Amino acid sequence: MTQIKIYQGGEIPSLTRKIWHTFADNPFALAGLWAVVALLLLAVFGPLIAPYSAEYQDPRTLLLAPSWDAAGTVEHFLGTDDLGRDIFSRLLHGAHLTFGVALAIVLTSLVIGFIIGSISGMMKGLKASILSHLLDALLSIPSLLMAILVVAVMGPGLDNVFWAVGIALTPQFVRATHQAIHEELQKEYVKAAKLDGANMIQIFWYVVMPNVWDTIIIQTTLGISAAILDIAALGFLNLGAQAPSPEWGAMVSQGVDNILTAPWTVTIPGGAILCSVLAINLVGDGLRSALSPINN
Amino acid sequence: MTRYLIRRLNLFLATSLVLFAVLFIVTNQFPVEQGFALTGILSPSAQQIAQINADFNLNSDSFDQFIAYLHQRLSGDLGISATSHRPVAEELASVLPASFELASVAATLAIALGLPLGVLASLSRHKITQHTIMAITLTGYSIPVFWLGLTLSLWFGVQLGWLPISGRLNLLYEIEPITGLILIDTLMSHSPYSVSAFIDAILHLILPAITLAVLPFTVVVRITRSTMITIMDQTYIKAAEARGLHTYRIVLRHALPNALIPVIKSLGLMLGAFVSYAMIVEVIFSWPGVGNWLVSGIYQRDYTVIQGGVLAVALSIIFLSIMIEVLHTAINPLSRKELYDSN
Repeated sequence: MTQIKIYQGGEIPSLTRKIWHTFADNPFALAGLWAVVALLLLAVFGPLIAPYSAEYQDPRTLLLAPSWDAAGTVEHFLGTDDLGRDIFSRLLHGAHLTFGVALAIVLTSLVIGFIIGSISGMMKGLKASILSHLLDALLSIPSLLMAILVVAVMGPGLDNVFWAVGIALTPQFVRATHQAIHEELQKEYVKAAKLDGANMIQIFWYVVMPNVWDTIIIQTTLGISAAILDIAALGFLNLGAQAPSPEWGAMVSQGVDNILTAPWTVTIPGGAILCSVLAINLVGDGLRSALSPINN
Repeated sequence: MTRYLIRRLNLFLATSLVLFAVLFIVTNQFPVEQGFALTGILSPSAQQIAQINADFNLNSDSFDQFIAYLHQRLSGDLGISATSHRPVAEELASVLPASFELASVAATLAIALGLPLGVLASLSRHKITQHTIMAITLTGYSIPVFWLGLTLSLWFGVQLGWLPISGRLNLLYEIEPITGLILIDTLMSHSPYSVSAFIDAILHLILPAITLAVLPFTVVVRITRSTMITIMDQTYIKAAEARGLHTYRIVLRHALPNALIPVIKSLGLMLGAFVSYAMIVEVIFSWPGVGNWLVSGIYQRDYTVIQGGVLAVALSIIFLSIMIEVLHTAINPLSRKELYDSN
């Protein structure tokens, strides 16, 4: 028996569902999302599934090639470095150092940047302009210079990278929030809400913010990829995570000495950084095209 | 417009003042004696101590100290380097041109290749071409620059042996620095081998410039492409098509000038990342620029070098980003309108 459709109108999907459909239509973005989920799981459970510990040195297998090479063995899937440490295990142990610390940095600077940005975005005149001037000064100091200053004061180490990259990232969030709010405030619908008698907080939270969230989400994905690259670059320059640490950038810098005889000690950690940043950028790209009003 | 320019100049001065204040505070936090952090003199004589105290007003309160610090730094006294015992300002003058040369060659390369490719990508209707270009640019955007530099130097420098991978010029050539820009200096020198030195300088420049150009190149391609796609849908382009103009002319005369505006804006936003990348590239290719100098300064805890380098780099970034903003306003009528509204 065929079902009779009584009502003509089809189901109207909610906004979130619409965004999800546009996002899922893009196979690259979906692949990126899976990769990010996998990275998150690895950052949490990586040390549990790693076959060796990060510092375990096997003196019989120095500079062993990866397993697909004729000289390699499957016990050391991605080969070993010059101290006989298993690269695969070190990558798993390092995931939470590179990826996890990047997430922590971005979340911290997102919260701080969002608060300052909303305050300065809602204000007008001198106070807002003093805030934005201060931020321009900070924004102009790139993360590497900031890291050099922080290292000069506090010495190298991964926890100091947290401050350096965090201080360098926060102004970007402040500026993105400030500009998005500032732009929305100029529009007519805000004026209408004002005429209806809404106070500042109501205008901020119920009127402006729903239109600002997408900017902040996109800025967050950009921030995560920038933070991973910064952490790795500082590790590579020996200003961040120090030598025995399995942070991915530090692994590249430890492999540089052997790059001619054992190029995989540089290629594999570098490839891991590339893949994780690429996955995040794919998700960010997918989100951007799903959220942009032209496509909806 | 004059009022706008004055406001930007004001912004530059205010931002620089904040920068000096940040540096002053950081200098006092350095884990060494204050006089050493300020001047770089490791074991000063009694006379030098008195001189330092008088110069930097070390016996009065911190506000007076800041004024004295500002006065010293603005009069060009950046102290002496603790490792080389040469004045920091002198060293800075010898490393800044090298960095400037590398950065400008990379930026020119990125814009000269990125704009046409972005326009082509926006005009092509092939799914495969579009996806390929997007995939390449996204990879280029995600690649860690130190790894790219190492890989390129391993391939082209070591395995193929085509290009030199460190320094600016083969040590065999002795070129008097005149401008500090090696490409100009080699051409201006009167030595009999100036042409071969010039070619050698170009060969040295290729790998670092390409490594550094990857980030701005991908950004320029992506922004150009997305703006061109939006612009080509607009009615004034349809009107131009209806008038029977050639596609070539429509793109160059009608669409591209408007597409340049967001590209310029994104260049300004990218400046900080670009400078970070330039410093890493200089370290990898042993390019004798300010980044390499600064990173070796931090390894040796040479506090005057750190201050001088951070000051010079941050000041040039502030200056450039304000210049880019002024350029953006000058060619964008819409932002000028907002300017008159606010005044």
